[in-house]
Order: sequence, then structure tokens, then C-alpha cells
Amino acid sequence: MAEKTATPNRGYGRWTPFWFLAPAVLTLLLIGIYPTIFALVTSFRRYNITRPRDGFPFIGFENYLNVLSDSTFWSSLLLTARFYVTVLPVQIALGLAIALLLHKPGMGLLKSLARVTLVVPLATTYAVVGLIGRLIFNRDFGVANQFLNWFGFPGFDWLGSPSGAFAAIAIMDIWQWTPFCALIFLAGLSMVPGEIEEAARLETSSRLSLLRYVQLPYLLPGLTAVMILRSADVLKLFDMVFVMTRGGPGSATDLVSVYIQRVGFRIFDLGTASAQAILLLILTIIISRLYIRVLYREVN
Amino acid sequence: MSFLKLDGIKKAFGDAEVIKGVSFAAEKGEFVVFVGPSGCGKSTLLRMIAGLEDVSQGTLYIDGKNVTFEEPAKREVSMVFQSYALYPHMSVFENMAFGLRMNKQPEDQIKARVLEAARILQIEPLLDRKPRALSGGQRQRVAIGRSIVRHPKIFLFDEPLSNLDAELRTQMRVEIAKLHSNLGATMVYVTHDQVEAMTLADRIVVLRAGLVEQLGTPTELYDRPANTFVAGFIGSPKMNFLLATVTATDGNSLQLSHPAFAGGTLQLRRPAASEVRVGEKVSVGMRPEHLSLDPAKPLLSLSLDLQENLGGSTQIHARAAGEPITMVVPGRPDLSSGDAITAGIEPNNIYLFDESGLAIKG
Repeated sequence: MAEKTATPNRGYGRWTPFWFLAPAVLTLLLIGIYPTIFALVTSFRRYNITRPRDGFPFIGFENYLNVLSDSTFWSSLLLTARFYVTVLPVQIALGLAIALLLHKPGMGLLKSLARVTLVVPLATTYAVVGLIGRLIFNRDFGVANQFLNWFGFPGFDWLGSPSGAFAAIAIMDIWQWTPFCALIFLAGLSMVPGEIEEAARLETSSRLSLLRYVQLPYLLPGLTAVMILRSADVLKLFDMVFVMTRGGPGSATDLVSVYIQRVGFRIFDLGTASAQAILLLILTIIISRLYIRVLYREVN
Repeated sequence: MSFLKLDGIKKAFGDAEVIKGVSFAAEKGEFVVFVGPSGCGKSTLLRMIAGLEDVSQGTLYIDGKNVTFEEPAKREVSMVFQSYALYPHMSVFENMAFGLRMNKQPEDQIKARVLEAARILQIEPLLDRKPRALSGGQRQRVAIGRSIVRHPKIFLFDEPLSNLDAELRTQMRVEIAKLHSNLGATMVYVTHDQVEAMTLADRIVVLRAGLVEQLGTPTELYDRPANTFVAGFIGSPKMNFLLATVTATDGNSLQLSHPAFAGGTLQLRRPAASEVRVGEKVSVGMRPEHLSLDPAKPLLSLSLDLQENLGGSTQIHARAAGEPITMVVPGRPDLSSGDAITAGIEPNNIYLFDESGLAIKG
């Protein structure tokens, strides 16, 4: 065998992979890891930026104890939980219905058009969703009231009433996130091998049984992902709510992240706000682990 | 009334017509095999019987009932797929019980039927396992078991053995044949393997490009192929064809000429010889296993290209006036490439086909 002519690999050294990864790692450090560590450190200090003369003394777990005994924090957390259990079932149900429709054979062009349309709400910034929500639910010229009028119902001051405002932000969240559920479920449905679906169709003519016993197992990983992402997302849902209601009226839409923002950037008590944020992070991790343990099942 | 009846069945995908009008009937308890090259529409036809594919035109009857537009589950047929199509998240027992559960059968009956099927297929020790913990052959048994427990009117098999290795394939083929005789069930079986077709079928339906080329028992297809396609498709190795010219004909014999014939001509007695005229071309078909080496009355003069030792027999690839000829002879003849050899055949074993490929009877 002829000997290989060894060309020196001048451009590629031991550190080359490092340089390629460096920009991403640096960015992540800068915008992800540094702020998290900063928040962690801050959460153990008294850190009120309106009183810089007091300094930022280290106070141990005092911020955490304050947060845990703060009834407003708990009620905003409870409200966030209520929001989550309001929107998620609707998003899952609607998402599944859309996915099942798109999974049906036939109407290829329309379906691919629909699939593309699904991405639009996902690609919309939360703040813009909030702006759209403000227009839709405007008492005087919003389409929501127009819609009610068509069916003979009187108009309604959505954003001015506690239950109306809560419903309005829930509807906007459902609008934005149902397509995400639909896409995840659609991916799950297309994971079911064609012959397995056909084998089941030979054994049952019930669409519901087919969904429950054959397709659902393939949807569980996606469902877990949806629940984890949505719970993390609802816990930090801020922009849309802030633009639409600023947490009001009263505290009707004062979700936990809106409350934290108020503590941090209205009262400027960054120490307490950081402690709250870290607690939310821990909560998110616990919830995710729970979902994975209870729900997640690989089919194969 | 036949048990399974297809009446002018057609299927089109858009503008492409894949089944162009198929009619046939099968009796209760019959084993029918659809055979043909890939793309001939045999699987589509089977899937239409199952109801997994809509029928574009024509009528389908099962047990005297028009099921053309019936849902798959209501046709009381079961199907074994090429990929087995077991439910991956269910145990073997659950896989087999699924159809019965969906039919709301009482639990004790479900258990009895599954155990019965498991006993027949010798998969009792596997009942608690998931499909991923099974070998290909075991999966296939489970898939067949899932069919059996439902006591369907018709068993459908879509190339069920093509994912198995050669040895297992032979073994499962024998088991399917046994199963058929034990259950006395009506079975429709799709394959491109003509050995499976020959060994399993009561009747074979040979399909090509969406049309039935011939329908008959394996022996009929082998002995009296309707045309050159069936003649070439049934039998392994493939039948040899020589395109000869008719040089003389009288009432019951004809003379053919081709440079490959020893002496340039071949004299054949055929009662139907009057069907052909002098000057017409006919295909002379000879099965490799019918040709013998160095006979008393040589028919073909050949030059040997290659011989393959099959152990008990030898497959000879040779040329006769440029035309390839394959023959299978017993033992191991002492030959080498380039040797001039002669081959002969019983006149009764010579097949004749006219210019359009149709068999000349007689």
C-alpha cells in the first residue's frame, strides 16, 4: 500500500473546537448564566437601589423569609397557578383537535398552508400580543365586543373588570400557544407508524379508542414537553400581561412575574425580587421533574 | 355465492390507475395468493379488501354482503403486515387481546382465546413481553396470533415473511400452511415470492400492472401458463424463451426454425398447429429443470458460459446462437466454460406462445 502523504493540518489544532464554541458560550454566560448568578448573590443581600448609601449588606436568608411570609407573593403565585390550569387544558384540547384535523389524509395544499399559519402566533413577540389584545378587548372599538353584539349580548369592559381582564389575558395566551401544542401533537401523531394505525383501524372503528390506545402513547413525550414549557413560561409570563393590564384592575391579573417586576423596579427592592425569582426557578425545576416522572413514557 | 368476491374493482390515485378492473371469487376456506412483480397492485388490492384503501370503482362482497364502503373494523377481516405492526407499548397478551377488548368481549373469553392462540403458535412464554423484546420470527407469530384470536372471516397477509431470514421464512411458511389446514380459514396472501405462492396457494392470482394475467391452481399455472409473463414468473429459475419462425405447418404438427436448434429446425406435434401460419414468429418456452444434458435426441447446441454448483444439482448458464439458456441438471457434470454441449427436452414439456405472448393451446 502506498504511503499516505501527510499534510500538516495547519488550520486545525487542539483549540479549534473551543474557538468555534466560544461565541455561543460567551453569549450564554453573558445573558444567561451571569444574570442568574447575580440574582442568586443579590437574593442574599439587602439591595435597594434607591438607598445606595445603606450599601448592599449580606443578610443571609432574610429576603427568602420575607418572601415566604408575604401574602401578596402567595396570592400572585396562586393566581398564576389558576391562570395555568385555565389556559393549559384549553390549549391541549384545541391543539389536539387541530393536530388531528391536520393529520387526516387529503387536502394537502390547505393543510400545508394551515401548518405555516400555525407558526404566526408563535413568532409574535409577547409585547405585540399584548398590544393586539388591548385592541381586541377595547371597550369602545374592540372586535370582542363587536362579536358579542352580533349575538345580541351587550358590550363589556373587558380590561376594566377583574374577571374580564383575567379572561382577556387567558384568551390571548390561548391564542398564542394553542398552535404550539398543535404542532407538537402533530409531530407526535406522525410518529405513529402507518401500519400500526392501520392495524388498529382493522380492530376498532372508534376514533376515540384509536386516539386513546394507539396514538396517545406517542403523544405523551410531546405532552410532557408542552406541560413543562408552558409551566415555565406561565411562571415568567410578563410582557403580554404588563402591556394589556399592568396586573390590574386591582390585582386581578397580577401574575407572579408582574408582581416580581413591581417589587424589583417600582419599589426597587432587588434583593427581595431576586429571592422571589430564585424561588420561581426552583419551583420550575421541581414541577418539570414531577412531570417527567409522572407523564413521560417512551413508546419504544 | 362465493365467500369473497371482487367485481370489477378499480383503483386510481389521482390520474394513475393502479388496479384496472379485477374480478374474481374465492370460496370459503380457500387459500388465495396474489403474486406479481413490485408495483403490480397486489398490495393495493389486499388493502382494498381490508378497507384500508378506498375502492374507486367496482363492488366487493365478503360472505355475501356488499362491504365496498364498510369500515375496516366492520368487515371482520384481520391482517398481518409486513412490518408486523404490533403496538409497541402493549405486551404480547395486550396486543392479541386489543381487538377483542375493542369488541367488548367478556374478559374470561378474551383470556381463553388469547391463550388458545398462544398455544397454537407456541408463544405462551412470551405473553408478558413487549414487542421490542422479541425476535423477528416471534413478532410475526404474535402478529398472526392477533389475527387468529378475532376469528375473522378472512385472514389477509401482506408479504408477511419478507422481513425474515431465509431459514425462518421457510419455517413460517410451513406453519402458515399448517395453520390454514387446521383452522380451515379463508386466507388471502400477497407475495412477490413465487415459491411462497406455489407452496401455499390453493389458487394463485398473477397480477401485472393492475390486471389479472392468470388465475388458477399452482399446477395449472406451472403446466399451462396463459402467456409468456406467467410462464416467466412462475417457476425458478425462469423459463427460457427462444423466438423461432414457423417454417411449415400441417393439421397437427409444425416446423420451427431457429439457429439454436440442432439442425436448425424443430418438428413439433401440436393439434392446434393450425392456429399459426408459416412465417409467423412463435416463442418457444423451455423450463430449466426440463432440459437435460447430452440427450439421445439433442434439441439445442449450446456453449457453456458458467456453471453454479448447488450441491445436489448444477445450474448451467449457456448460450445458444447468442441467446441465454439456463438449465438445472442433477449432479455435477464435468464441464468447463466454453465447452460445446447439447441439451434436449421432452416434446411435451415445450411451451409455445404466439407473437403477442399468448399460449398456443394443445
